[in-house]
Amino acid sequence: MDMLLEALASLLTFESVITVLVGVSAGLFIGAMPGLTATMALAVLLPFTFSMEALQGLIALGGVYMGSIYGGAFTAILINTPGTPSSIATTFDGYPMARQGRAYEAIAAATIASVAGGIVGVIFLLVLAPPLARWAVAFGPSEMFWVAMLGLTLVASLSSDSLLKGLLGGCIGILLSTIGVSPVGGESRFIFGYPPLQGGIELIVALIGLFVIPELLTMAAEGRGALPGQTELRKKEVSILSIARRIFGKPVNLIRSCLIGQIIAIIPGAGGNVTSLVAYNEARRFSRDPKSFGKGNVDGVVASESSNNVMVAGSMVPLLTLGIPGAPPDAIILGVLLMHGLRPGLDLFTESGVLTNGFILSMGMAALLLLPVGLLGGRLIHRVVIRTPYYFLVPSIAMVTILGTFALRNSLLDVGIMLILGTAGYFLRLIGIQPAPIVLGLILGGIAEEGYVQTLMAAVVDPIPWLRLLHNPLSMVLAGMVVLGAATTLVPMWLARKGLLDRVDEDDGRSP
Amino acid sequence: MILRLNTDIAAGTVGLVFAAVLWLPREEIGRLSIIFPRAILVLLCLIAVALIVKGVIRPGGRQVEITGSPRRLFTVIAGFFLWWGLVEVLGFLVTTLVAFFALTWYLARVETRVTWQRLLKWTPVILGLVIVFYLTFKEVLNVRLPTGLFF
Repeated sequence: MDMLLEALASLLTFESVITVLVGVSAGLFIGAMPGLTATMALAVLLPFTFSMEALQGLIALGGVYMGSIYGGAFTAILINTPGTPSSIATTFDGYPMARQGRAYEAIAAATIASVAGGIVGVIFLLVLAPPLARWAVAFGPSEMFWVAMLGLTLVASLSSDSLLKGLLGGCIGILLSTIGVSPVGGESRFIFGYPPLQGGIELIVALIGLFVIPELLTMAAEGRGALPGQTELRKKEVSILSIARRIFGKPVNLIRSCLIGQIIAIIPGAGGNVTSLVAYNEARRFSRDPKSFGKGNVDGVVASESSNNVMVAGSMVPLLTLGIPGAPPDAIILGVLLMHGLRPGLDLFTESGVLTNGFILSMGMAALLLLPVGLLGGRLIHRVVIRTPYYFLVPSIAMVTILGTFALRNSLLDVGIMLILGTAGYFLRLIGIQPAPIVLGLILGGIAEEGYVQTLMAAVVDPIPWLRLLHNPLSMVLAGMVVLGAATTLVPMWLARKGLLDRVDEDDGRSP
Repeated sequence: MILRLNTDIAAGTVGLVFAAVLWLPREEIGRLSIIFPRAILVLLCLIAVALIVKGVIRPGGRQVEITGSPRRLFTVIAGFFLWWGLVEVLGFLVTTLVAFFALTWYLARVETRVTWQRLLKWTPVILGLVIVFYLTFKEVLNVRLPTGLFF
């Protein structure tokens, strides 16, 4: 407790507050640009912290991390382009809301959810770090395989039109993730004699291609902007207080999303993209009006944004206690810790307790600062996007996406892959194969493969090797959750086929 | 433009073609590296066949619609690929300036007549945008952008 108070005192200085403010603003700006991820924001701004004290450097990067994850929501809402992978699920309802002229409502809801999520994540990190870290260690290869499978059951519900097409998209995504060097065997796969393909398909490249390019092509073909020209923020009709009342008035969605975000965040490597997709799926599944999801339901935005901001601090649990990055951007934070001679583990909470607690609390401060910075910045970004004619917007976004894609690995091949996937994504969407299942397959493919192959390798002497996937209670529970998840996806389809759903809808329609 | 197309059969065919492309080179790969992709390839084929069967028995969508102008769509697709192809030859800055001007001119024609005066009016905006992003990435973020023949 003394350390916590001492840390708080060291944080409440003019210098620290300004550092957090600048970090959040820089993160917000970079995160809002399609193709520039939170990892990239941290990597790019890392050199600026070299000359700072350890605590100042860490709180600057904590602010950048929080700001960039939140910044991804802006373009997700305004132009259907997730600024960071963590905002994929925000596009599902945020963009339809913007198309309906409710952009301000979506941005305000995303802001409030991000602030709440960020603070909850910090509380979790402060209170639950040691026991949660011990639990995460219990995840071996078979458990990781089931975690990936659990994520893949989302595929079915993400593609609302057809379960089979959703699964097909998921399989295509998984196979795209296998291009390049195998994580277990170490051999090159599916490179067709072209060595540059050994690097595989970078997730961000696929993400930009599948989400940005089809939207640009649609804008160009239709001769319209990302949003209807007459769309306003409608700020006067909805106040921030009314949106806050709505979110906190029925807090179940927020609480559930924060819990999901925290649980997934402590699983190493899971990242914000998985947390937001799982939280979104559960929000839809437990909603009284699941059909409104994907058509502009504010609860979808709240679920996605609260869970991915919980992840920012939540993913620090395995990082600070075990040195295992919970999400890719955490690897940069780990680098900064090591650079300042700080080794993750018990020492961070004892010998360097003031510094560690200061860093954790600074993320809480960054979350609070999202409110003023986000709402002011939101108006600015919205104005820029709305008032720019579509014939400027299309080439501008194309230029930034080409730059962002190239900058990831200094590779023109990545730009080509992005364009090919984007063009294919446009035509696949026409026949009902949505980009989200493909991206989800691409994210989870690597995790599933490592878990699957390592488990089977350990079971070579077993009579039935694949039974090793269910060798302990934790694996069985996770496998049960996968089956349950798939079954609950199929139930509404079965009910619809039996005509029972129509009857329920009619009853709902009759009730006042 | 509306095209008559059984989307289930089309999606199934896409799945089978994709599986075939990846299936052919798999024999050169060791067991540890192929065990997982092979399982997914089999799964993909099963789903694709199921979609085709469903498409025959009880088809879902029977048409697809390309909203807007297909001509503009294919022109912009070609423009993007040309932009990418020329970056290595002409360098990022020159190619992007040319592509930006060309796309702006082509897309603006949909809603207004684009005169030379108008293009000249847009020039500072386009130049400013491209140069700001170019310098930000090159000088601040230290990204080595392709130089090609010029910059």
